[in-house]
Amino acid sequence: MTRYLELYWHFLIQRFKILMEYRLNFFIGSSSTAILQAASLAAIWVVMRQIPSLNGWSFYEVILVYGLLTMGESITHMFADNLWTVGWNYVRSGDFDRFLVRPIDPLFHLLADRFCHDGIGNLITGAVLVGVSMQKLDIAFSLLHIMYIIISVLSGGVIFIALNLITATSVFWIMESIPVTQMVFTMNEFAKYPLSIYHSSIRVLLTWIIPYGFVSFYPASYLLGRDVGALVWLSPLVALVFIFIAYRIWLFGLRHYSSTGS
Amino acid sequence: MAIIQVEHLNKTFKVQRKEPGLAGAVKALFLPKYEDKVAVNGISFSIDTGEIVGYIGVNGAGKSTTIKMLTGILVPSSGSVLVLERDPHRERVANAREIGVVFGQRTQLWWDLAFIESLSLVAKIYQVPQVRYKQLLDQFAETLELKELFSVPIRNMSLGQKMRAELAATLIHEPRVVYLDEPTIGLDLIVKERIREFIKEQNRTRSTTVVLTTHDLGDIEELCKRVIIIDTGKLIYDGPIETIKERFGKYREITFETLSTPGHVDLPSGAEIILAEPRKISVRFDRTAITASGVAAALMNQIEVKDFSLSEPDLASIIRQIYNGALNEEQAA
Amino acid sequence: MIQSLRRDFSIYRAIAAMAAKTRLAYNMWVWADFVVTIVSMIVFVYFWRAVYAGTSTLSGLALSQTITYILLARLLSPLVETRTIFFFGFMIRQGQIAVELTRPLDMQARIMTESFAELLVFLIQRLPLFLIAWLFFGLQLPSSPALWGAFFISLVLGQIVLFLFDWMFACLAFYVTETWGLSVVRVAAGSFFSGAIVPLVMMPDWLQNLAMSLPFAQAMAVPVSFLSGISTVADAPHIWLTQLIWLLVLLVLSRIVFGIAVRKVTVQGG
Repeated sequence: MTRYLELYWHFLIQRFKILMEYRLNFFIGSSSTAILQAASLAAIWVVMRQIPSLNGWSFYEVILVYGLLTMGESITHMFADNLWTVGWNYVRSGDFDRFLVRPIDPLFHLLADRFCHDGIGNLITGAVLVGVSMQKLDIAFSLLHIMYIIISVLSGGVIFIALNLITATSVFWIMESIPVTQMVFTMNEFAKYPLSIYHSSIRVLLTWIIPYGFVSFYPASYLLGRDVGALVWLSPLVALVFIFIAYRIWLFGLRHYSSTGS
Repeated sequence: MAIIQVEHLNKTFKVQRKEPGLAGAVKALFLPKYEDKVAVNGISFSIDTGEIVGYIGVNGAGKSTTIKMLTGILVPSSGSVLVLERDPHRERVANAREIGVVFGQRTQLWWDLAFIESLSLVAKIYQVPQVRYKQLLDQFAETLELKELFSVPIRNMSLGQKMRAELAATLIHEPRVVYLDEPTIGLDLIVKERIREFIKEQNRTRSTTVVLTTHDLGDIEELCKRVIIIDTGKLIYDGPIETIKERFGKYREITFETLSTPGHVDLPSGAEIILAEPRKISVRFDRTAITASGVAAALMNQIEVKDFSLSEPDLASIIRQIYNGALNEEQAA
Repeated sequence: MIQSLRRDFSIYRAIAAMAAKTRLAYNMWVWADFVVTIVSMIVFVYFWRAVYAGTSTLSGLALSQTITYILLARLLSPLVETRTIFFFGFMIRQGQIAVELTRPLDMQARIMTESFAELLVFLIQRLPLFLIAWLFFGLQLPSSPALWGAFFISLVLGQIVLFLFDWMFACLAFYVTETWGLSVVRVAAGSFFSGAIVPLVMMPDWLQNLAMSLPFAQAMAVPVSFLSGISTVADAPHIWLTQLIWLLVLLVLSRIVFGIAVRKVTVQGG
């Protein structure tokens, strides 16, 4: 395990060596996601200044949900971006086979091969949104809260990665996994806003089937003192369950790949 | 104990048969029909430590499928593969530690990284001890002339430089078995020579077993003492290279463009005219009987030659010959 | 609902037939686009319903108007995207500018035609989604042919305006190697200031003025305003004239800027 951590560190260093060669591009890439967020946030601000609350959620409460989702998404964006490109960049070209003749886990190699700096913009933006909204809402920056947020963001990131991994495995059957991954990934749009504004069926979908709700809504509910029961403590458990399922599915896909080739 | 042991290896793929047109598309969606495509058909062979074996066949013969099974990428349909006494698929990681693979045109190094950085990352992946890494680095820098390449990223390297870099990266963890797929393709003669020398030297000093798949007969001749030929998934020849050269690869052709129409031309024995046109004449000769320069000299003494070209023996035709020959031998026995 | 279904049955049948015939050729990409668009439409509808929970109008718009507006904007979203900057970047990297410029037809006119043809195909592909939005999400389209006429003319004018602006913007590719960041800014600005995410009328005055001084609104918000009841037929001549002026100014500017950029590359070497 420590070996993999150390190895990842080396992959990361090499990746940064490449990125630092084009410093302007690094800066632009990192801030590009932040700029995209700015448009959405401006829209939310425009809308919410006209109304007292969104289904009982004030402007800063909405921002808290949005910020938590953005932070969770940034994790997969930074560390698992290759799950999007596994088809056209690795399997189709045959480069994936290289991973199979190296003495390390192919999934690890796939993910370590590309740290995506674009996600940094999202992480920072999200953190700023969370920090600002907590301050405006008088939520204490206690140790408990900070720990809770860190664990929630990490769990959220793992949930994002798990869902992307499950859909990325389709590459072993259909050679191009982006459309499938896109279809599931887009569901996270729901979790940008409080789940309470949606029909109950959507809430169920986002809680138990495609659990993006645990990235933003339930942690936000905890921080805001809104009662949703035990769900506020379940993010890490959901993350673990889903990543376990995702990894088994991935292994199943690998087995299929090694019997059918490409 | 053989280092590679293959017995009755079979690989069959299920390929979907699609009929054209709308009706065909509908059928394909609801009632898919699959056909069996046999890529590897009952191949058996064993390779000992330190051998350099050529594994050749035309495209589609089943070479890359076999290699994929040897390297653990693909699972056989039936039969067994043992490399270093392991099943390369079941014990993927352990096997991967001791093999090296060169996939022809595709590099294992990172496109944008300086070569030395790529190399150090590979070394970390294979857990090459730091001291050993330094030693090997110096050795390879020497024998492959890599010193000026260390700071160059792969994307900026020429084909020859890329291959030298690739070999260093493949051997940096001192694998006991190396699979080389088209290692000299596209390279000029001088670079090819260097690469072949390097492979021979590694084989000599480290007893590295080499499985070489290539279309380049020069590679085969210089490197391999033994050749395995497969065609349509079946093994049709497994033996010393001398026999092939003697029996099948001995003919070559030179085509001369002449300034005037040649009249009668005297050719030394072993050479015969196979094409005579107003300003072109093609001569086929037995390489074991006479050299190309011998033929050219003889001809140029008799007519004025504007240009000439030498054709390599055609691997496909050699294989066909062998196949037919093998059939004939079977019938005779 | 049922009555309107009977009335438009022939349209429905045509769409269904088309969908059936092409269903087998529809690949995953199209399905993915469908799912993504439908999900975002669901999100929008619920979001705006929650927004309007305590009030019946906002900035003079009723919920039904806003929903129509937003759904239309989402369905027409490809109309504010642009690939011109990538195309320029690609061309430059491949060193193909000289080739492109020596072709018989005017480059700008040719690329515009190609671009519009692609958009048309993409929109036709989205017709089933329009149907779904109309049946299930509350998309309400006017029945007055005059309004539709005003919409179409305004749409064409506005799209040309945007194309010309993007032509100018894409010239930055001649000066900057990394076009990704630029396109991100363009996408963000485009989607916000075209009114695709929020109706422009809801923005504070200073922001609205900024939006109207940019070309993005002309390509989306302005035409769509006819269909969502924000603009009337009487407004049409004035609106068309404004768009026409935009068009002429940008036509001249874009060609000048392009000429300068090309000269820079061919003189200095690309």
